[in-house]
Amino acid sequence: MLGNYAGLYTLLQLSNINKTYGSAARPVRALRGVSLSVAKGEFGAILGPSGSGKSTLLNIIGLLEQPDRGQLHFEGVDVGTASLEKRAHLRNRLVGFVFQSFQLLPRLTAWQNVALPLLYRGTPRRERRAPAMAMLERVGLVDRADHLPNALSGGQRQRVALARALIGAPQLVLADEPTGSLDSVTAREAMDLLRSLNRRLGVTMLIVTHDRALADCCDRRIEILDGRIVSDTGSAAGTRRS
Amino acid sequence: MSRTLPLDAPLFISGRFLENLSEAFANLYAQGRRSALALLGILIGAASIVAMLNVGHIAQQESLKLFANMGVDILRAQALPTGSEAGGFDQRTLENLSKTDPDILAATPLSIGRVNAFSASREANASIVAMSPALHALARLQIEEGRALTPFDDCSPVAVIGAELAETLSNGGGALGPGALISIGGYGFTVIGRTAPIMMGTLEPVDYNKSVMIPLACSRRVLAGDEPNTALFTMRSGADFPAVGARITAALEDPRLRIQIVDARAILETMNAHKAVHNRMLAAVGGISLLVGGIGVMNVMLMSVMERRREIGVRAAIGATPRDIRLLFLIEAAALALVGGLIGSAFGVVASYVIAATSGWTFSLALSLLPIGPAAASLVGLVFGVYPALIASRLDPIEALRAE
Repeated sequence: MLGNYAGLYTLLQLSNINKTYGSAARPVRALRGVSLSVAKGEFGAILGPSGSGKSTLLNIIGLLEQPDRGQLHFEGVDVGTASLEKRAHLRNRLVGFVFQSFQLLPRLTAWQNVALPLLYRGTPRRERRAPAMAMLERVGLVDRADHLPNALSGGQRQRVALARALIGAPQLVLADEPTGSLDSVTAREAMDLLRSLNRRLGVTMLIVTHDRALADCCDRRIEILDGRIVSDTGSAAGTRRS
Repeated sequence: MSRTLPLDAPLFISGRFLENLSEAFANLYAQGRRSALALLGILIGAASIVAMLNVGHIAQQESLKLFANMGVDILRAQALPTGSEAGGFDQRTLENLSKTDPDILAATPLSIGRVNAFSASREANASIVAMSPALHALARLQIEEGRALTPFDDCSPVAVIGAELAETLSNGGGALGPGALISIGGYGFTVIGRTAPIMMGTLEPVDYNKSVMIPLACSRRVLAGDEPNTALFTMRSGADFPAVGARITAALEDPRLRIQIVDARAILETMNAHKAVHNRMLAAVGGISLLVGGIGVMNVMLMSVMERRREIGVRAAIGATPRDIRLLFLIEAAALALVGGLIGSAFGVVASYVIAATSGWTFSLALSLLPIGPAAASLVGLVFGVYPALIASRLDPIEALRAE
């Protein structure tokens, strides 16, 4: 099912990725030869039940983890074997994470949370507030900029987390069950926001979920089971429909 | 496809340190009581160190004060009669010693005794110092009223009176001054001057404040003999004091006398030795407290790392390198210890004030020594913060993000 995206700008290229956990005696094969190509600007879902290997795939794509075998190319550069330090810098510049439980730092205000990636990019403190406020404006939370996370609703926290993921102008946003902690109305709003940011900013988004209904909102659905991709529907060209 | 990835992104350090520091203080505040407990050890450690240093400084000032009049390059020889026969040093030998021994710059003879002194209306038991005029300069005897003894007074019945004795002998109408007459051992002495009050130093053979000072010549009128029973030697400052003492003893040897040598440096050394014992004790207390405090800091930081695993995971995910994480926790440990060090130093200053007050010393603050307390504390924080910081930086971000 792997499409040939010749002519499209390939952001991400995974070839024959393998990852095994556990002891040598009792290995758990999380990924068994996953190959995947993601074009710039795609809005895709990685779908699978728990234990299918989708989280491992997310971690490898997000450069949090290294594959045992196989290659990972980001914009044509092999990053699968980069050092810890280099991967941290790459994460900072290329990837934005949105976690299921938001993972905001409780002692920092909304805007400080949003600005955090800029700290690790070396942006001076004075120059961080303005972009953070601009990003909060994009997610419609500028009036909550000085609130601490526990003074925000779930949906608001998710939007702060999204703003944090986007502030570094990443190539790719990885969202792990982004609506898992939200009620259905807020979840729909969150998805709409992701979709509109994908369109407006052209940022590639991959959403990891076990929820088929949520995956159906995405242009492309990559289904994973027992460490293998079992189906991949919706073409990259689909993202260019509108 | 030609765009290159920022694989070699430079490490930005500038400004991040201060930021980490302010964040560290915020975290400490948030940890509240637990931080306070860890601070206690550091606090006591820093307090003992600062108290030790400052008490040492105060004691040093005090001991120097004891030698302020004559300095420390003084050696005192005293003649104690062995039998009933009175005796003293041979003046010519004393003079020769100062001329022939290169280590002796001057020898000042004097004779000391106890007498009853009478003024017109009062009587007092007083010391009498029969002295050569040179002692005025050597012992820094300042004249408050009248004049000092001079070589021209030679054998005259004149006296300079100490400040306190002048009060004691007065008739209620102010201290005795020049022109007054006092009677000692049946001889009348005319007071020609009164000394200003002077602190009694360690090596002073007598308290000048309570003394009558008369010329050495003809002192037989009121003392047992003409020969001086005391001599003060001004020494070359690099001299070997015990050796010179032995040479003096040998030169002045006399079967009627037992010669006692007292040397300022030896006294100073004894005082320093005592001080060193106290210092070692305080240093031990300070060291052990800092050690305990350091372990406390490590404990707090380890707990903090465990509690903030998710935060560490988030930071790692958004681009913090292991080095950034290490720095964050190291600075926090040092900041924790620094707070303890600062508070402890304040307590240390207060403690040294109390010690000085109870010892009757004048309190003073050794400003140059003060930073040692907080500095030692921060160092301890850094050293004991290394392990928790390493633990934090080695956490797997995925595991850390999953932590509850």
